[in-house]
Amino acid sequence: MNLAALSMPTKSDEAFRYADLTALAGVWPVEPEEITVPAGASEALSIVQDAASGAVARQLVVTLAADAIFDLRILNLGGAYGRIAVDARLGEAAQFTLGAAQLGSGDQVLEIVTQVTHAAPDAVSRQVIRSVLAGHATGTYLGKVAVARGSNGTDSEQSVRAMLLDRTATANAKPELEIFADDVKCAHGCAVGELDAMGLFYLESRGLPPEEAKKLMLQAFIAEAFSGAAEEEKLQSLALKRLGDML
Amino acid sequence: MSEDVKETPERDQAARDAARALETYEWGFSSDIEQEFAPKGLSEDTVRFISAKKNEPEWMLEWRLKAYRHWLTMTAPDWAKLNVPPIDYQDAYYYAAPKEKPKLGSLDEVDPEILRVYEKLGIPIEEQKVLAGVEGARRVAVDAVFDSVSVATTFRAELEAAGVIFRSISEAIREYPDQVKKWLGKVVPMHDNYFSALNCAVFSDGTFVYIPEGVRCPMELSTYFRINAENTGQFERTLIIAEKGSYVSYLEGCTAPMRDENQLHAAVVELVAMDDAEIKYSTVQNWYPGDAQGRGGIYNFVTKRALCQGKRSKVSWTQVETGSAITWKYPSCVLNGEDSVGEFYSVAVTNNFQQADTGTKMIHNGRGSRSTIISKGISAGHSNNTYRGLVRVAANADGVRNFTQCDSLLLGQSCGAHTVPYIEVKNPSAQIEHEATTSKISDGQLFYAMQRGLGQEEAVALIVNGFAKEVLQQLPMEFAVEAQKLLGISLEGSVG
Amino acid sequence: MANDYSGMTVNERLFGAGLLDDYDRTRAQGDLTKLNELLAKVGLRFENGSHWDLDPSFYMLNINNLHATVADKPILKGLSLTINAGEVHAIMGPNGAGKSTLGYVLGGRPGYEVTGGDVTFDGTDLLALAPHERAAAGLFLGFQYPVEIPGVSFVQFLREALNSQRKARGQAPLSGGEFLKLAREKAALLRMDMDMLKRPVNVGFSGGEKKRAEMVQMGILDPTLAILDETDSGLDIDALRICGEGINAIMRKPDKAVLLITHYQRLLDYVKPDFVHVLAGGRIIKTGGPELALQLEEEGYEAVA
Repeated sequence: MNLAALSMPTKSDEAFRYADLTALAGVWPVEPEEITVPAGASEALSIVQDAASGAVARQLVVTLAADAIFDLRILNLGGAYGRIAVDARLGEAAQFTLGAAQLGSGDQVLEIVTQVTHAAPDAVSRQVIRSVLAGHATGTYLGKVAVARGSNGTDSEQSVRAMLLDRTATANAKPELEIFADDVKCAHGCAVGELDAMGLFYLESRGLPPEEAKKLMLQAFIAEAFSGAAEEEKLQSLALKRLGDML
Repeated sequence: MSEDVKETPERDQAARDAARALETYEWGFSSDIEQEFAPKGLSEDTVRFISAKKNEPEWMLEWRLKAYRHWLTMTAPDWAKLNVPPIDYQDAYYYAAPKEKPKLGSLDEVDPEILRVYEKLGIPIEEQKVLAGVEGARRVAVDAVFDSVSVATTFRAELEAAGVIFRSISEAIREYPDQVKKWLGKVVPMHDNYFSALNCAVFSDGTFVYIPEGVRCPMELSTYFRINAENTGQFERTLIIAEKGSYVSYLEGCTAPMRDENQLHAAVVELVAMDDAEIKYSTVQNWYPGDAQGRGGIYNFVTKRALCQGKRSKVSWTQVETGSAITWKYPSCVLNGEDSVGEFYSVAVTNNFQQADTGTKMIHNGRGSRSTIISKGISAGHSNNTYRGLVRVAANADGVRNFTQCDSLLLGQSCGAHTVPYIEVKNPSAQIEHEATTSKISDGQLFYAMQRGLGQEEAVALIVNGFAKEVLQQLPMEFAVEAQKLLGISLEGSVG
Repeated sequence: MANDYSGMTVNERLFGAGLLDDYDRTRAQGDLTKLNELLAKVGLRFENGSHWDLDPSFYMLNINNLHATVADKPILKGLSLTINAGEVHAIMGPNGAGKSTLGYVLGGRPGYEVTGGDVTFDGTDLLALAPHERAAAGLFLGFQYPVEIPGVSFVQFLREALNSQRKARGQAPLSGGEFLKLAREKAALLRMDMDMLKRPVNVGFSGGEKKRAEMVQMGILDPTLAILDETDSGLDIDALRICGEGINAIMRKPDKAVLLITHYQRLLDYVKPDFVHVLAGGRIIKTGGPELALQLEEEGYEAVA
């Protein structure tokens, strides 16, 4: 760990722009967790961050060697402040998947902060981030995809969606691209909105009470973050339970 | 930091090299109108000199001094993806004016030297006709800001008949102090940022436009900027007020002479649109970008902001940015009015060692306000081109819509294209969509176009113009033609 | 009266006597005296003069002088219509007449605001109910454009919907096995592969598949009144026949009724209506038997209006 990482960040640090710094101070410094996926290996990890209260912050530093595959899924439910930062560095033809959902209510501040560096040619990254925010909760995704000089054949996608259930909730997103190679496919899409009124009416017209219809739509909304995961069912059911509590 | 930029033999050598490379910059030329300079450097005395030189009222001097004192407490922003060399603010002149001349009765009396400059600038034919007084020419009013001071204004009478006020800002400060006072510094407060504070303190001249209630401005208003004097920072100030139900289209075109030293530019543009008013603000910016080795070129730190204050008010920014060594520019809309509309259409081209960090902010405070952002970034050479945008929706703003499309085109392996969108939403009924793509010109596209007979550079220009089409078509006709040519010229030598 | 009206619905009595048009007009005008004169001719009268048609045994669905707006624009302007159990009604009319609006208003779609009139369904105030309560009460709305819901499978959605309805009616929920058996049976009726019901709701379905899926849902949910909004649009000949037969199998029963909203005769070849209404300008302008639909097909709406 270097000294710079030890000093407490401020709001002018881009990666902490929307952070709850008071809460973060209680758990600072955050010890980075190193994960190395060797060449040609395939690994998967699910993280459920569900502290009942207080601040939790994690920092994963993932290195994918050539042809390595890493499938990371995150369900970020809190505590009061819940931050998960992921730095992933992709070697040649490595494949990185991040599926993350964060569900917040009350005064929770939740954030997922990623930096995905395509350091060599032909690596693929896929990020799907879904946030559902109720009450006075704030949900943030800061996601930077950096393509280093010479990393041709890079294929990167970020799909970022947030749903606000109350007008007191806040969604922030910054899907950032930093590209220094020309033969790349980099795209991101970001949308913030509310549940589709027609879809809700369709479900209700078939007999689902509004709460149930909402829950079903939200379940579908976050499903994409977990689809194809080894622990898809477990993550889904935990998310569904939290959604039930939130509604 | 002034030590860092003390003139060194290396710098002078670089300047001489740049001057010799003059022919590579199409519009690099220089005219020799006599200048009257403010003393070199920046101090309260400089501010007083400028204010006195412009016969400003006391309140204006106080305002400038307040801004200057505030500026002293500030530091230059460092968050943009820009590598800005240290700027020595004491090593520049803050005021240069052509020597006072008698008021001109007609264009014939304009200094032929200035008219020649216009010609070299490539003012569109329609406007040349206007300047030449050709009967039946399309009406475009040109307020020429020549080395910071307005020297000629055409069509003033016709505009006045419509009730439109189109003046240099210094004239407006003297003639319409109430109108100016009401809005000056209200859209972009003096403490907004380092460069806006600097502008408030030392702005030299600029344009004031007032469109009264219900008036559709009878012609497009056009201002040509020209930076000419050596060591002269340009601090233009523009204020456009569109009252209820009015409409104005304003064209701003810039080109610059060959420069041998970096030159700072920090303009401030403020727009105000009341109920049902519409302002269309188009810019083609082609200041000297520096040479192929990245020497020289303009530093362009601009603050442009519109206040969509009225219900159903609309402001549309369109920009084609091909020039300047460094561009730091975010034309923005504060959408306070119910159902107000903000638009930002941008093409930014960077080549060689240019750096651009440009985009917009759409601040949605009004219910039902909508915004559209279309940004096309084209990077070539060793340049870096960044889109930086903010879409913010306040908690009380129901029914807000935003659509953002950011496309980057990379030409070559040594450039960079970056996208930094910030999205901050506090209202559940907002619908915010952002899409970004990155592409390059494929060998297949180039070969196809060349097989059909186009030269390589023509082919690149063709493809780039296609890429930027959605933005170019927002420009008024006479600008669109110039802009298309510019894209091609700016990218010359970038593929090969 | 010598006529034997036993076993006949009010509409059938009035229609048989050639009084239905007159009756609907009179209802819209609110002339109670004249209404009772008409009803007397078919052996009926209102017991409660303070409110229309309070006797639920009269009608399954009773739409009375309904006014509705969408985005402040009036669409329905005094629409009256009654439907009895055992009947199939078809509403036809030109584009923009308000046909789909009627379906949405009856289904309770947000944004479709009732500004006047009332609707009772089996004697209860339909307009006071939320959309899911209307469903639980036995009303099914077949959508012209069924909505896609990514991530939610038909099976999960329909089981939750059916059990919500059953719960509201005080019935025990169906187990997973029971539900799948029911779903399989109804899917077979509409010749739909059961695997399609395991896919997300309507996602990736063709227009025809979506309509068949609507009919499968109708079969599973087993409503008493089905309002089918342009179920025939987007169907090829085979799918049209399958849907038509499905509607007959599921809904042609003495205790059920159907309101078909359609542009064309072709669905009516399979699902023969008892009554055909022409909707224009936000109200019913003409009512007739099945022959009216044929006449409309031949001569167009203008001839009828």
